[in-house]
Amino acid sequence: MGEPSHISARLSLIVWAWLAGLMLLGVILSELSILPLPHRGVIAIVAGLSTVKALLVARYYMHLKGDQRLLAFVALGPFLLIALALSVIFSSTLIRL
Amino acid sequence: MDRAVSLQSPPTVSTCTGVPNGKLGMWLFLASEVMFFTGLMGAYVVLRMSHPAWPGSDGHLNVWIGTCNTLVLICSSTTIVLALAASERQNLPAVRTWLLLTATLGSVFLVVKGFEYAAKFSHHIVPSTNVFWSCYFALTAFHALHVLGGIVFNLVVLAYTGRPAWWASRSRRLELAGLYWHFVDIVWIFLFPMLYLF
Repeated sequence: MGEPSHISARLSLIVWAWLAGLMLLGVILSELSILPLPHRGVIAIVAGLSTVKALLVARYYMHLKGDQRLLAFVALGPFLLIALALSVIFSSTLIRL
Repeated sequence: MDRAVSLQSPPTVSTCTGVPNGKLGMWLFLASEVMFFTGLMGAYVVLRMSHPAWPGSDGHLNVWIGTCNTLVLICSSTTIVLALAASERQNLPAVRTWLLLTATLGSVFLVVKGFEYAAKFSHHIVPSTNVFWSCYFALTAFHALHVLGGIVFNLVVLAYTGRPAWWASRSRRLELAGLYWHFVDIVWIFLFPMLYLF
């Protein structure tokens, strides 16, 4: 326990290819308007792609996949607070509407 | 006197959490940084949603320059992973090479950002121009400061590779530098579409 489970060079290059590919896909979807979706739909898809990229970096490059669960809880803690803050912000926005 | 120094990583110190203290400290620091950047990004989202006529970049941001800069940062995240892999193989020259490449790519990112800033200033676009540019300069400047901090951290770890004795006792800091660098990358993964694409 306690030893990091670092990924191999081959896997790190595969993750790099996914990160670059997803980033280019987001740019193409946003700039070329090839999807028959309203702008908000494209924003949702590109934001989803960014989330997938962040999860890839956290899981493989930051070793959350193999590290102790304690670190995963530390990493996820802020997101619980963020979710709480967002729910307060958006609920107050909806009430005003 | 035995002057031979092992390049192997120092033994793991047993802690009550099972996680090395340095690593746990770095994760706690990154958790606080997540909240810092989420506050800034949250302010941007709220301002944008509540603004009746969002000004936007009005064509003054080049998406393809931003795309190339994002690719540079993604590449630097991979090179620091390769530095860590080389460290596990006890290959100190390779660690130096990958760390130097990481710092160089980070510097390229900052130089490109500097040219972008200069182009804005030459068009008399400053933080007070409108709410979009206030957010743009605040978000990208704080991110650039973090990139600069990451470059310094990487260079400090690179300096440790100069002497095997230093490296033997400090090699674990490469992992901490990597964690910080990946965090900087993740922040840009969200900032780039927010500012350049949406």
